[in-house]
Amino acid sequence: MYADYAYLIVALPVLAFLLCLFVGWHLPRGGGFLTVLATFAGLILSLGIFSEIYPDKIIHQSMPWFANFNVGILIDPLALVMLLMVTFVVTLIHIYANGYMNGDPGAARYFAEAALFTASMLGLIFADNLLQLFIFWELVGLCSYLLIGFWYRKPSAAAAAKKAFLTTRVGDVLFLAGIILLYNNLANLNLALKPGEYLLQFPVIYANLAQIAPDQLTLIALGLLGGAVGKSGQFPLHVWLPDAMEGPTTVSAMIHAATMVTAGVYLVARMFPLFYAAPYGLTAVIAVGAFTALFAATMGLTSFDIKRVLAFSTVSQLGFMMAGLGSGAAVGTLAVGVAIFHLIGHSFFKALLFLGAGSIIHAVNTNDLREMGGVGKYMKWTMYTMLIGSLSLAGFPYFTGFFSKDEVILIAYEYGALINMLPYIFLVLAAVLTAIYTFRMWFSVFTGKERSNYAKHESPWIMLGPLVILAVFAFGFGLAAQDDFYKYLDSNFEHYDLDFVELGVIGGHALEGEHGAPAVEGEQGAAAAEAGHGAAAEGEASEGEAGGEEGPGEPWYIQILPIFIALGGILIAGLFYWDRVKKFDPSQVTGDKDPIRKLLLKGYYQHEIMTGWFAETVVYGTALICNTIDIKLVDGWLNWLSALVLGFAQHVRKVQTGIVQNYVTALVLGVVVLVVVITLAKEVGLV
Amino acid sequence: MEFSHYAPLWGEALLTILAVLVVLLGSLMKNSGKLMGYLSAAGLVAALALVASNLTIKPTLFFFDTISVDALSQFFKVVFLVVSLLVVIASMSKYTGKGADEYFALLLFATVGMMVVSSSVDIITLFVGFELASLSTYALAAFDRSKKNLEAAMKYFIFGSVASAFMLFGFSLLYGMAGSTHLVDIAAASLANFGPATLVALLFVIVGFGFKMALVPFHMWAPDTYEGAPPLVSALLAAGSKKMGFVAAFRVILIALVALRMEWYMAFAILAAVTMTLGNLAACWQNNVRRILAYSSIAQAGYIAIAFVVVGAAYGAAPVNVLNMGPIRADQLGIAGALLLILGHALMKTGAFIGTALVASNVSKESETDPDDISNYAGLAKRAPITAFCMLIFMFALAGIPPTAGYIGKFVLFSSAIYSGLVWLAVLAILNSALSLVYYLRIISYMYLKEAAGPKIKEQKGYVVALILTLLAVVWIGVFPEAFINWAMQAAAVLLPQ
Repeated sequence: MYADYAYLIVALPVLAFLLCLFVGWHLPRGGGFLTVLATFAGLILSLGIFSEIYPDKIIHQSMPWFANFNVGILIDPLALVMLLMVTFVVTLIHIYANGYMNGDPGAARYFAEAALFTASMLGLIFADNLLQLFIFWELVGLCSYLLIGFWYRKPSAAAAAKKAFLTTRVGDVLFLAGIILLYNNLANLNLALKPGEYLLQFPVIYANLAQIAPDQLTLIALGLLGGAVGKSGQFPLHVWLPDAMEGPTTVSAMIHAATMVTAGVYLVARMFPLFYAAPYGLTAVIAVGAFTALFAATMGLTSFDIKRVLAFSTVSQLGFMMAGLGSGAAVGTLAVGVAIFHLIGHSFFKALLFLGAGSIIHAVNTNDLREMGGVGKYMKWTMYTMLIGSLSLAGFPYFTGFFSKDEVILIAYEYGALINMLPYIFLVLAAVLTAIYTFRMWFSVFTGKERSNYAKHESPWIMLGPLVILAVFAFGFGLAAQDDFYKYLDSNFEHYDLDFVELGVIGGHALEGEHGAPAVEGEQGAAAAEAGHGAAAEGEASEGEAGGEEGPGEPWYIQILPIFIALGGILIAGLFYWDRVKKFDPSQVTGDKDPIRKLLLKGYYQHEIMTGWFAETVVYGTALICNTIDIKLVDGWLNWLSALVLGFAQHVRKVQTGIVQNYVTALVLGVVVLVVVITLAKEVGLV
Repeated sequence: MEFSHYAPLWGEALLTILAVLVVLLGSLMKNSGKLMGYLSAAGLVAALALVASNLTIKPTLFFFDTISVDALSQFFKVVFLVVSLLVVIASMSKYTGKGADEYFALLLFATVGMMVVSSSVDIITLFVGFELASLSTYALAAFDRSKKNLEAAMKYFIFGSVASAFMLFGFSLLYGMAGSTHLVDIAAASLANFGPATLVALLFVIVGFGFKMALVPFHMWAPDTYEGAPPLVSALLAAGSKKMGFVAAFRVILIALVALRMEWYMAFAILAAVTMTLGNLAACWQNNVRRILAYSSIAQAGYIAIAFVVVGAAYGAAPVNVLNMGPIRADQLGIAGALLLILGHALMKTGAFIGTALVASNVSKESETDPDDISNYAGLAKRAPITAFCMLIFMFALAGIPPTAGYIGKFVLFSSAIYSGLVWLAVLAILNSALSLVYYLRIISYMYLKEAAGPKIKEQKGYVVALILTLLAVVWIGVFPEAFINWAMQAAAVLLPQ
């Protein structure tokens, strides 16, 4: 019964958008309660749908749009968990925003845009075809532009919005190219589609993947990956994400936790069979992911802006998710479950951390870690909820982040055992750094002495409530849901007409199975690996044997390494930044002259390279040429034209009828030209 | 013959009687403006219902085979009636005082003229209908009696007369050649007896229709007239009477002059390419919103003219399997695309001109400057939010952005060009669509990004109702296009041999 109203999940936020837009400013708090209600209704509907279709059904509704295109809703396990997560987290963020945006003159606009943002993300998730997904994908991009530039009178906000929009546009062009390529390939197959089936529907794509030429599959996969890289802030298109902090903190929380950036990961997960079948598709995914994870983590170490620390952490964690998906080359569909599990867990603790940071900024009125210190004395609730979020992010045992991140590292190890160890090493290093920068942030904010004179008060309950709820999930979700989650997501692609063994052969994965470990052959391999992991991830004693017997498995030291990573990272951060146990000062290890520190502080000179060299030399040079052409040629032509028109008008004023005569002359001339052209064409034999 | 035999023509009859009645009542009553508006609107709704009840009728001939009621004529009648209805609704906020009866009567006569043209299968009835519509609109274009109006009407009249002369000359040649005024007989004669005179006739006919369709170089009256006429009349001219040129051209050129297919294929290929390019280029450099819209309609006429080229290229070609709709002939698809674009453009342009009417009527009271200047649209989103939003959608629709009526029309039309091998034309049309964004977005940026040019303005009821109805129709066609595509395909089939 809930399934019949699935469309309302998107329709209600759209309604909230319209209401806030048009009548918002007559309502208290800019009509924020409408946005909350609409999203909450989406949560209820999603839960209802969950109760109806769990564990082995999917919902697929579709109606024709026109020609080859349709509009449809596809809710399979993958989409369902995303729906639940987005509606849940965004509801909490909207509630929080009711407190945070209180008193802002643009509150109505904020809630309208936020509602549209939510609607687009939800529409993206349950789209049943790639085109519809793309349309919502673009809407998400548009809304992020509007929201990041929410305070558009602030030049930095306007610039950040533009940067986000343009950078993701680069990815979107690639994405669109991928879609067009995929469409062409499918159209060339001349499929006999049943009524109600359309070319770009996911089930149709899945069912016909095996017939597309492998090199085309790789091109398509790279195109789609380009889109995902842009949206999910992966290297080298990550530059917009840290700047996206210019919007209200709630926007950052939405972008970083629930909506927008997760869309890229979701796209790769949704098209996982294609990436799996495409030779080198998953290799590209894991390379991008693992590199981004480490790269962003190092930058997180040196930022002083609390929101930027969190932003780099998001980029890094998204790298983990991508790397997890890429490990699918070794572990099959299990990778989707692992990556999405990390995505969901991450959305809880990252939303928590961002909202916590918002609560701090709201109170102390600065973003700079160097001006905080000792905030914990005045903001107990914020401190403890943030502690839970930080522990979860650092991967402290039994917190959500522990289960999810370590699982990613483990499957990366399997990828390493089979194919290449480098991603695994990158991820382990990134995990250490994650723990360090997270607690560097936490210790500098909440402990120690006050380093500046800030306002000392706790945030109101409308803001703390969501923090507490998110903290519960950031702690308990992993422990409670892990096993069922993997099982449920692993069943995702069983609903479609897919043969992973065949796809694996196309993608060259089975080949590696023959040479390397015998177990990795499509689904069976994945299932076996999953059995090994189910045990492993619980962190119990039996994992060594289970892994040894059934899968390629991991030695015991690989299994427990993540625990030491987390503890060690926190310890290091404590030694540097917690006044009670402080043993070192950062200046003892590194000084202003240290080239590595300088490199990190400068963010790897990306700004210098991208803006200083590429933008200012290459782009600006091109722009100068264009400008010259514009001034000399276009403007010159325009000036000449306007002078002509003005002169003409002068002339017209004196001789009123002259102009009509001219017109009629043109008419006659037109006839003559037509006569000549047609006669000539006949003579030449063109017609 | 009993009365009910003429049931498919009751719509025209009703409007004619109503128009006469409006003139009579107007001369008898003092201050009858409001009543006349409601009366006209009611009559148009009734006529629309009568037409709609015979929407996909089998071709039926009346009056010695001079009038044919078929799916094509009904399609165009719906377009004309809807446009007139929207204009009447909007006019109810403007023409309320003395003289309103004449305005509404002229409008109804123009509508009847257009409806007659859409049904004509005989060059005499066609010409009579053409002139009825033209003469009524000449008077309407000067209706506000401002200096600008008079100038616009004068240009329109002179240019129109020359074009009519060309057309009539062409018709006389056709009659001389075929000895009959029926389109079917002319078709048969031109197939049998093809000579230089037929080519001259073809060109003269193209000039006559090209004037109404505003194809370059027969377009020069259009910007001046659309700019100078009362804005609501411009809506009728751009959205209604221009489409009359297309239905007449469809019938005469595609049916009667099919023997000269290669010649008009060539002519329209040039006309379409030149028209859309020049229209779009010229529109980029205008500062007067109504001039921008005028050039945009010229460009749209260029797109629609692609249909002739498609038919010329793919006439009678074997069906191809396109667009998930089963085997379809490319020529039929081309006409269907043109019809969809005609329907969409009629709605979008009516809406856009009604929007300019609202702005102009509120600005001209305050300042002496050109009421249609784009600077008056600065910050319109704050001054008149409903109008600005509707204009925003119309601009997007005109640019062909989904999901709107403009997109569907362009999509079907351009695909038909590709299916009939005219890739160059399709590419040119798509490039032109991209170019057109320059001036559409310029208007939008003025409305939404600039500081407001004045205080909030009152959005009169009539305008707002018409705008919102148009908006709904434009979006409805874009979201649920399937039924409209099928309808256009049926109408297109009338023009082609089965």
